[in-house]
Amino acid sequence: MTDTAIDVPTPVLAEPRTRVSATLSDDAQLIAACRRGEARAMEMLYHQFKRRVFGMAHRIVGPNDAEEVAQEVFVRVFRGLAAFRGDSALSTWIYRLTVNASLSHLARRGRRQEVGDETLADVPAAPEVSRDPGLAARIERALVELPPGYRAILVLHDVEGLSHEECAAILECRVGTCKSQLHKARARMRELLGPIGGPPQ
Amino acid sequence: MTCDDVRPQLTAYLDGELEGDRGSAVRGHLRGCAACRTASNDEAALRDGLRALPTLDAPSGMWAKIQTQLADAEIADSEKPRWRRVLARWSPQHWVTPRLALASGALAVIFCVSAWRYTHRDHELPQTALVLPQLPTLPAPATNNGDVATEIAALPKTTSDSYAAAADELVKLATESRASWSDSQQKQFDAKVAELQHDIATADEGRPRQRAYRTLIRYLQRAATRDEVAFADTRGTP
Repeated sequence: MTDTAIDVPTPVLAEPRTRVSATLSDDAQLIAACRRGEARAMEMLYHQFKRRVFGMAHRIVGPNDAEEVAQEVFVRVFRGLAAFRGDSALSTWIYRLTVNASLSHLARRGRRQEVGDETLADVPAAPEVSRDPGLAARIERALVELPPGYRAILVLHDVEGLSHEECAAILECRVGTCKSQLHKARARMRELLGPIGGPPQ
Repeated sequence: MTCDDVRPQLTAYLDGELEGDRGSAVRGHLRGCAACRTASNDEAALRDGLRALPTLDAPSGMWAKIQTQLADAEIADSEKPRWRRVLARWSPQHWVTPRLALASGALAVIFCVSAWRYTHRDHELPQTALVLPQLPTLPAPATNNGDVATEIAALPKTTSDSYAAAADELVKLATESRASWSDSQQKQFDAKVAELQHDIATADEGRPRQRAYRTLIRYLQRAATRDEVAFADTRGTP
């Protein structure tokens, strides 16, 4: 997206810094420092959220466009922090931006992400928790086949481990809607995956 | 409990959201039903498989690219005119709630004041745009010492008088601009005014006469404002 822009070296700027160095221990301080344009705070915020933002974007839009979407999200975060009023938690707001940017990216592209060899090669080996060693790759492949809305709820709840309340706040829907969407999304995934052969109960 | 009852609850059951009886009923069914047990095991394996997907780390160069984009955006911002930057600060997230409340309050106040003024308004004469300053004032209600019958009886007379004054004033105004009209327009105007004045003179006292006055006033207003429709309209005013 910005490959051409990268070639131009960014001039080093003197950065604003408060006289008393903030501890940046909580969201409010981090947000305030970012609003003042403190590079250290902005980088901290980036590192705090980069994995989840990139991971969500990766699993919703696919590997080819994930970086572009994640960059767009962070630019929106830093540009929008001045207007962030703290109605929701900072994380909820950032994840909402991520999901919305990913879904609009898919809508713009107007096509489902194709899964090729390149995609599967990008998937790191799953940790040894599953009985089926190929399950992670199969799940990633099935995720891409899901409708984007189902993908979003599965990524938020099951992959990222967020609660139904957090998912509802991110997706701006009711908790009940969130639960029923998750149920449908899992049912669709099971259809796509076929028998998984989970542990006997 | 049947399979149809259990299947919709499997997700909630596996996520530990069914407590007490509801959980044990599902569990009891699963112990006896192989098909539901398989479905349950599959969903549990899917849930665990999704949770166990590896964390993906962002590409190492992403922060530099974001910084470049932010720098570009700041440069673009600084080149924008000041009013656009000010407008941008007025994003909906900033202002919609407090300002919406303010605007609603202001509207409510305006509505209340208008309603109060409407219900407490003085009884006004029918007004025409051109004659407002010349209208004779009606006797104030207080001077009638509360004698409503007298006041009502006097109304048609005073209304006709005010119409007459308005008509006179308009005839003067029209006569002033008459000189600039063509001969046929002047002739047409004179004939029409004479006809309408004749209508007034022959009309009965009260409402018929007021109606005739209103017809003349409307015609004169249009003539005075040099509305060409008035000259073309040989049938008089509607």
